[in-house]
Amino acid sequence: MATDSSSSVSDHVVSRGTVEDPIFEITDTSVTYDGETRVLEDVNVSIDRHEILGIVGESGSGKSMFASALLDAIPDPGVLTGDIRYHPPDGPPVDLLGLTDEELRQFRWEEVSMVFQGAMSSFNPTMKIGAHFEETLKAHDKRVSEGLEFARELLENLYLEPERVLDSYPHELSGGMQQRALIALSMVLDPEVLVMDEPTAALDLLMQRSILTLLDRLQRKYDLTIVFITHDLPLVASLADRMAIIYAFQFAEIGPRDEIIGNAAHPYTRALLNATPNVDAPLDEMQPIEGEGPAPVSVPSGCRFEPRCPLATEECRTTDPPLAAVDRDRTTHRSACHHPATAREEIQLNFDEANDELESASPVEPSEPAVETRAEQTSETPLLSLDDVAVHFTEEQGLTERFTKDPTVVRAVDGVSLDIHEQDLVCLLGESGCGKTTLGKTLIGLQRPTDGSIEYRGQDIWEAKDGDGEIPYDEIRSALQIIHQDPGSALNPNRRIADILSESLRHTHPNIGRNERRRRMHSLLERIGMAPAEEFLDRYPHQLSGGEKQRVALARALLMNPDAILADEAISAVDVSLRIEIMDLMLELQSEFETSFLFVSHDLSNARYFAEHGDGRIAVMYLGEIVEIGSAERLIHDPRHPYTEVLRWATPDLELDSMGAGDPPLREVDVPDPIDPPSGCRFHTRCPVAREACREQHPDLRRIDDGDGRVACFREDPNHEYWDSEPVDGAVEQPEEFTGN
Amino acid sequence: MNYYLKRTAQIPLTILAVATLTFGLIRLLPGGPFTQLRLELLQQGVPAEQVDARIEALQNIRPDAPLWQQYLDYMVGVAQLDLGQSISLNEPVIDVLARSLPWTVFLVVTSTILMFVIGVVIGALQAYWEGSRFDRITSGGSIFLLSVPYYIFAVIFLFFLAFQLQLFPTGNAVARGVDASLSLAYFSSVLHHATLPILAFTISGIGSTALNMRGNGIQVLGEEYVEVARLRGLSNNRIATRYVARNAILPMYTGLLLLIGFRLGGTVVLEEIFSYPGLGYYMIQAVNANDYPLMMGCFLVITVTLVVGVYIADLTYGLIDPRISAGDSDEY
Ligand code: SF4
Ligand code: SF4
Repeated sequence: MATDSSSSVSDHVVSRGTVEDPIFEITDTSVTYDGETRVLEDVNVSIDRHEILGIVGESGSGKSMFASALLDAIPDPGVLTGDIRYHPPDGPPVDLLGLTDEELRQFRWEEVSMVFQGAMSSFNPTMKIGAHFEETLKAHDKRVSEGLEFARELLENLYLEPERVLDSYPHELSGGMQQRALIALSMVLDPEVLVMDEPTAALDLLMQRSILTLLDRLQRKYDLTIVFITHDLPLVASLADRMAIIYAFQFAEIGPRDEIIGNAAHPYTRALLNATPNVDAPLDEMQPIEGEGPAPVSVPSGCRFEPRCPLATEECRTTDPPLAAVDRDRTTHRSACHHPATAREEIQLNFDEANDELESASPVEPSEPAVETRAEQTSETPLLSLDDVAVHFTEEQGLTERFTKDPTVVRAVDGVSLDIHEQDLVCLLGESGCGKTTLGKTLIGLQRPTDGSIEYRGQDIWEAKDGDGEIPYDEIRSALQIIHQDPGSALNPNRRIADILSESLRHTHPNIGRNERRRRMHSLLERIGMAPAEEFLDRYPHQLSGGEKQRVALARALLMNPDAILADEAISAVDVSLRIEIMDLMLELQSEFETSFLFVSHDLSNARYFAEHGDGRIAVMYLGEIVEIGSAERLIHDPRHPYTEVLRWATPDLELDSMGAGDPPLREVDVPDPIDPPSGCRFHTRCPVAREACREQHPDLRRIDDGDGRVACFREDPNHEYWDSEPVDGAVEQPEEFTGN
Repeated sequence: MNYYLKRTAQIPLTILAVATLTFGLIRLLPGGPFTQLRLELLQQGVPAEQVDARIEALQNIRPDAPLWQQYLDYMVGVAQLDLGQSISLNEPVIDVLARSLPWTVFLVVTSTILMFVIGVVIGALQAYWEGSRFDRITSGGSIFLLSVPYYIFAVIFLFFLAFQLQLFPTGNAVARGVDASLSLAYFSSVLHHATLPILAFTISGIGSTALNMRGNGIQVLGEEYVEVARLRGLSNNRIATRYVARNAILPMYTGLLLLIGFRLGGTVVLEEIFSYPGLGYYMIQAVNANDYPLMMGCFLVITVTLVVGVYIADLTYGLIDPRISAGDSDEY
């Protein structure tokens, strides 16, 4: 490693960094437990008035502690030390740690308020949303009627119907609505600062992005300062003015957003950027970060990132680098690393090259003919074939309705036809509630369709179940396997891995001996990267990490020798940096075990990774219907359905010029109720280019003339009367014109 | 079919099944009530040829009719609240039940409510002071109460407080000579007589209620919404009542109604110990006297109460806890 500017850089005094008009000045602030375990260490940062500061960190990095510290609300028995100074818009600065209990009570929510991750768990489940607003206003001696008026305004700004929301119990709202109601609740006393701790983590990408757009508007309208804490770097990158990276209880890097994304100086930041699945990056370059962040009791003595850092030197092992300005003349960008220049040189950012490359050469070129041929394989009997399938659920009702009204029917899946071939790969993509999970379960015969038929190699699955079929039902059942979203709950906690796996082996190979079984499990575990296999076989599920559990679930499914595996959001529970690894593994195993994969996801970049690498198709679902289906390549670069474009918009990327660009290409934030889906094209209530014709007529899936796949939108038909009818309220002529309202 | 309709339809079906069972027992048990009754009647000198008629008059059952006929007659009788004649007491079973049931209900309901309130308060305090000395001591106490059956307390109370110290009566529901009226004397006598049974029955249930409440309370206290409520600056009082208590107690509601049903069964021994003239007391009497009609009457009443209790719990839980009323339709 050549000598670089690092020695001179680290000479810089540790400064809080310069911001012009700080609202928070945080100096030497730490949080300790039991007097020694530090879960936040010597933090020195300032937060600018009216900025949006995005803070990124892995789980367990201390980022939530930082959030709590801003409200002096560290959970017991943690101790907050240091100096946190709050500058109100007028009046003298407030020393947060010196406030009395009553002053602190007023300070919270009136000056600084907080939005937590789980909106559902932030509301009292037995109290209406409106009561939460009222009691908050009362507790702070505000006039309730005026406060509620303001609350209604806030809710409306968040695209909610105020009366309906205030009169609902928390569980009666969808996750996205709850989260927005919670944001309104946190703003009801008109605070200066909003601290948000993973406020959108539990939501769909599309809802996350929509909320971020709304936040951006609220921030400007009400002159807020927002501290947005997340593990999702690209997500917050679209919103933030400045960004900070927390690693192992300290700030590793902080600076203007564009600097952090385009010119990061800390190896960890650069690795994070490269580990992000990114719609525009060439796939081969996404690299997971090896290893895990340290636990609070075992923080390395030198640089905290040293054990995982590819650039570590002797100096790094001994001296803890201070958070200092990266370049002499630019004090706004600070990083805690001895060798920022080397980092910039040695760790290339993959998305930088992405943009040019994609234009010229498509990285998946060789696979394209395969997609075509597979789609055309109509002569052969497909492995699974859905014909005009509908799944309708009868929903539970309240006591009084039960005796009076007809039961409400949720139309989870409606009129879907789809063929899955041998060794096929299909990703079902859509928002929650679009029916993708139900469709997946129908495909593998776990959910009986209320209408239409599902055939396995030409044999109707449900007829086989009822006892008259050529292929026995048991055989079909074991040929179609599922991996659940949460591997923890799918594995029996009281049985060792060996027992869990041998159960399926006993099913497929009833005649092999104990040793042979053990040998097979052994080699499979090694194959899926769980070495030493002997050790893993004797463990219980709770002794495994999330990724390992998911691997075991995968191994168990594979041991059944299946023809198709449904992976139901199977990687969303796994840490971002591990997702690619698991997806790669699934893809490798697919060809090895000659099975088909059905991959259910709400995340376009995951679906894309999967579909492109495994040469499969992506089926976009909306309110129970497939609205577009085609190869990942075409869907990403030439989306035909307006909804696919929306999903494309919702997928975060790290391109600086497209960042922060505008509102969602949608006229409504929430998905309509699947109990009573809109007439005509189901997307017409949100579609930015909907016209009168879309209200009445229902578009069928039709083959795309100049590309692969099918799409259900009138815009594909140049002769449709759509082109002659009027745009509906709020809609525009061309998608490009749409800017939201 | 609609869940609630199904649930409602189950009630008469269950009662029918229980009634059928009682019929079967009364009519068919070898050496059962009729052999007994016949013997008794013969001993009383009733002429042999009149015995069947007497039995028919007493039990609305014609021993010589075909079985299905007898069954129908019995069912019609039950529907008209005619449960036959008690053999040992020589009066209609329904009268005995009507006389004894109120006392039992009084015992069970009072003691269950007392037990619930005291247990909840103790458990809530324990949850708030989790790990404190109070918590440790009461937890120990709760486990002790949980492991000692109620009749042990009953016997101890009876022996010391009633027999030795003579503070309380050793039997009956009211003092002899006090007439049922709205007078103070009557009420105080009733209370005086019921104190010990209620006490014994209450104490034994406190342990489990307190432990239950403690667990729920600790769980709710750890919930994020409580933390958020604190940050929002709500008063401790409001958090304790609207947030912690409400969410900790609601899940115990169904259990409470079930408990009332089960404790009704528990009165059998309790009332026997205190010679308290409730349903359980008569049930034991009936067992001792081989008085099947009375026995089955008591059995029928206890079962029906249990079934109805469960039904009400089921039906109202959705109304009481808003979380239940809507199905979870998040992902489909
Ligand atoms: S200081 Fe050294 S170990 Fe730490 S991040 Fe920089 S180069 Fe890596
Ligand atoms: S059919 Fe109309 S409403 Fe539906 S997606 Fe196409 S343009 Fe939009």
